Amino acid sequence: MVSENENPETKSASLPMMLILVLTAGGLGVMAVSGVIAAFVITGWLGQPVPVLGFQQTFDQPIDFPHTIHASTKQLKHVAADGQTMEGLGLDCTFCHRTVTTQANAGIPPVGFCATCHEVIGSADNNEINILRDAAGIIGDDGKEPIDWRRVHRLPDHVRFVHEPHIRYLTQNLSEVKGTTDGVTTGPSAVCSTCHGNVAAMEQVEQVEALKMGQCVDCHRDNGAPTDCAACHH
Amino acid sequence: MTTENFGNNNWGMVVDVDKCIGCNACVLACQAENNIPLNTQDRVERARSISWIRVERYWEGDFPDAKARFIPIMCQHCENAPCEPVCPVYATYHNAEGMNVQVYNRCVGTRYCANGCPYIVRFFNFWEPVWPESLRNHLNPDVTIRSRGIMEKCSFCVHRIRRETRKARSEGREVIDGTIQTACSSACPTSALNFGNFNDPNSKVSKMKKDKRHYTLLDQFATDPNVIYLAKIDADKKVAAKHD
Repeated sequence: MVSENENPETKSASLPMMLILVLTAGGLGVMAVSGVIAAFVITGWLGQPVPVLGFQQTFDQPIDFPHTIHASTKQLKHVAADGQTMEGLGLDCTFCHRTVTTQANAGIPPVGFCATCHEVIGSADNNEINILRDAAGIIGDDGKEPIDWRRVHRLPDHVRFVHEPHIRYLTQNLSEVKGTTDGVTTGPSAVCSTCHGNVAAMEQVEQVEALKMGQCVDCHRDNGAPTDCAACHH
Repeated sequence: MTTENFGNNNWGMVVDVDKCIGCNACVLACQAENNIPLNTQDRVERARSISWIRVERYWEGDFPDAKARFIPIMCQHCENAPCEPVCPVYATYHNAEGMNVQVYNRCVGTRYCANGCPYIVRFFNFWEPVWPESLRNHLNPDVTIRSRGIMEKCSFCVHRIRRETRKARSEGREVIDGTIQTACSSACPTSALNFGNFNDPNSKVSKMKKDKRHYTLLDQFATDPNVIYLAKIDADKKVAAKHD
């Protein structure tokens, strides 16, 4: 614009061309730079390991394990093989996830533990239960082998979460429990819904809470729990 | 379970140099406990080996009366830590329990803290740590594996402190003195390394701290460390009682 005012007559023909060129080049440059920045932001966000963005994530498990039948106390949508309506068994969460009240991990029961019931319970035609029986060495002749369950709730590497104090605090302060459950509402099973949602109503377990740091810190602040970094990050 | 309860402790260590025999068990215990990458020859030659605790050896006197001296040196968890104010991302800070904490996921690897530390106990991960397949199952699941590009240092085995305080709280009692041991102090065969709570006047470390022989490393920098050393006793030499 400045150069246009300096010599309006002599360069009047070539100047608009120059201007267009400069503006085009500049515009392209700006677009390229913003494109690169946008690419960085997008890859930086999407390039995170998937479990960090585990919100609403679910997996097909090696066995189609229904939490509804085992944990729910309500009548199920699921219909039994003989056409009868079913009610959930109403097992405590801690019946299978045995270490949740004492240790860091809730724990997945070993195959043999499932087989204590399923050696006899469930028809011989049920394919899903037969996978379990095969793994437990009850049918088939390939011996025992563990089932490779896929983990649904996974926290990032640099944070430590221990179930035990959380279960203990919430069972003592039931007013802090969020969510409702179709399962057992007494004992430790009553508090799981705070982070895991209504698992007793899930055919396939899904992560219903984002379980990001903001959520942890909010709850820790509300309940007077430590918010020191080293409480969880070490 | 309140924040106030968390500030009741002032973790610290008393190192009785007189008892140290230089066996390096603490170094090994620390390496195993804290998932420290293997210090291969290549890394040692480049002076980029990582050891959160090291036993320094020095000679006193002239030959033939020379004596070998050992002193274990780990992060001193200074109250006035030179490493803390230089961190641009607040990745290292002092918590209410008297510990100098390194937050790995905040660290961006400027290495200012390592340059600020007069004790040379901060280490930078120049490479992604790798372990041979046979050692993978030996890693401690309670300790984060530090990736390439971040600083690391002695954490006073904060995971062990958390484990014991959690256990005490679930049993509804106070932490019993001596139940919390760092990896190095539990491995020390002569109890030269002692870990405990300085805020508890009856703890072992609080009593040891009152010893005449106590001193802190490089106290001219006024870093006020939480690691107290007790001087070596020589049978043939009178120790100058510096502080009493």
